[in-house]
Amino acid sequence: MTTTTIHRVGTLLLILFTLSAPWVLPIFVDSFWVDIYSEILIWSLLAASVNLLFGYVGLLSFGQALFFGLGMYGVAVGIAKFDLSFWPAFMFGVALATGMAVIAGALAVRLTWHYFAIITVVFSLIFYFTALSWKQITGGDDGLPFSVPPIVSIGDFELVITNPFTQYFFIVLMVGACYALMSRVINSPLGRAFVTVRENDTRAALIGLNVYLIRLSAFVLAGFIAGVAGALFAFFGRYASASYMFYHVSGEAVVWAIIGGVGTLFGPILGTGLLIVLREELSSVWDHYLLLVGVAVIVTVIFAPRGVGGVFVALVQKYAKPSSSDKEGSQ
Amino acid sequence: MTGVPLLEVNGVSKRFGGLSALDGVNLSLETGKLHAIIGPNGAGKTTFFNVITGTLSVSGGRIKFLGDDITDKAVHQISHHGLARTLQIKSVFGSMTVRENLWIAAQSREGVFSVFKNWKKCTRAAEKADAICDQLGLTSLANQTAANLSYGDVALLEIGLALATDPKLLLLDEPICGMGPAETEQTVAKIQEISKHTDIIIIEHDIEVVFKIADQITVMANGSVLAQGKPEEIAENAEVRTAYLGDEDDD
Repeated sequence: MTTTTIHRVGTLLLILFTLSAPWVLPIFVDSFWVDIYSEILIWSLLAASVNLLFGYVGLLSFGQALFFGLGMYGVAVGIAKFDLSFWPAFMFGVALATGMAVIAGALAVRLTWHYFAIITVVFSLIFYFTALSWKQITGGDDGLPFSVPPIVSIGDFELVITNPFTQYFFIVLMVGACYALMSRVINSPLGRAFVTVRENDTRAALIGLNVYLIRLSAFVLAGFIAGVAGALFAFFGRYASASYMFYHVSGEAVVWAIIGGVGTLFGPILGTGLLIVLREELSSVWDHYLLLVGVAVIVTVIFAPRGVGGVFVALVQKYAKPSSSDKEGSQ
Repeated sequence: MTGVPLLEVNGVSKRFGGLSALDGVNLSLETGKLHAIIGPNGAGKTTFFNVITGTLSVSGGRIKFLGDDITDKAVHQISHHGLARTLQIKSVFGSMTVRENLWIAAQSREGVFSVFKNWKKCTRAAEKADAICDQLGLTSLANQTAANLSYGDVALLEIGLALATDPKLLLLDEPICGMGPAETEQTVAKIQEISKHTDIIIIEHDIEVVFKIADQITVMANGSVLAQGKPEEIAENAEVRTAYLGDEDDD
């Protein structure tokens, strides 16, 4: 099998598993794992937004929770305060997150490395504290619960998210669309420009690439993806809370992305999946399970800097026949 | 190609705090020639390249390239004016293959802000990349990751990256520095070949090479132009001899 075939088969298996999960998972484990899997898919988008920045354009953001939080609040505020219906609320959340990414990005991507990381933390902290204190809009500490309007309602026909199947497949569809979009961008000239900037920004500018605009595009796309994740999470939990904007959440997404493998499209799903399953299984047994997570991160960074996804790609490249139009290890 | 000078530099200075790296450089270079800039270490040669390409901003003075004022423009804008350069410390895109390196450089002319196309279908840039591989003798290495190349091949690839942007002027900063005799000879031949259709300014410490290939030599010392002329004239210039050629073995 060539590397391309293996990657295709891998992607296909992931898609098949995802589509059959509501029926297959309950056969083996408790049916609440279907919900956990939806949660993994949503959070993987947050990790994917970190990965897009860190893995592809070389910017380490500790502030992606800001965009997640804005997506979430956009939906909750839109429904609870402005009486928006489902799709307008969804779009409002995503637009808020994306708009903020344009503003924050315009400032942040002038910087790189630790300066960039610091400014992203600062941005998310500003809005975290704003959300905490602006009680009449955000609900502050208590969060903002709401009841979700129907996804579509034509005559008697209604699709509501309270139906577990509808909810699951709505999430799968949206998450899938985001990965399709990212895959498209990564394989476009812009995606190649991302990698070019990550590799050597001085040289990238010298061959005529607008490094600033390229970084900003990645930042806005990452903000959009994180915004979709936040909006989905709001629908999933039927509420929004400032605690999801805390930089802790951003940090967790960085960990997921690193363990899963930065610079690979599906690495974030792997990392998020592994660590959320670990959390579900261990947190009830052992309070200090985060120690294990810490060790796992250190081991990954030292021995497999490209994460579990990177190890997979490396193994495939080692043992499979190279395909004629070989992909660079980005799938 | 008559009339408009290739590069017109008027009173360009660059200060780093109290240190004057460039102190009122005046220079006018004609098109159609292979120019060389020489001078002792610290003369300001690389700083001069840095201000022309926008890597450093000028402290004063104007720079015109083929009649366009390029002073204070961003690095990528200057690249689009047709100025390309290589760096003294060789730099390419390490994790990408040779062909991908050249592809992105060529694609920079077509535009990279497109997400509607798969990059592998951008064939114009791909053809350009292959043509440059061919021109520089890198075809057998096209699928190698750039980080695995030998030093001499990285230097060639760097020249390739510059060429892929269709430059009108190519600035080479010590292109053969650190090369063995065989590699040097090969690279010099390539540079001479390129100079037939592209204007070149080369900074080089290897005086033998400079005198062999340059049509015109500019000597810099202490941040300004000391002398300019044909190789024979420079060789006979008394000032230059004292400032530079006098202590040849200092290299």
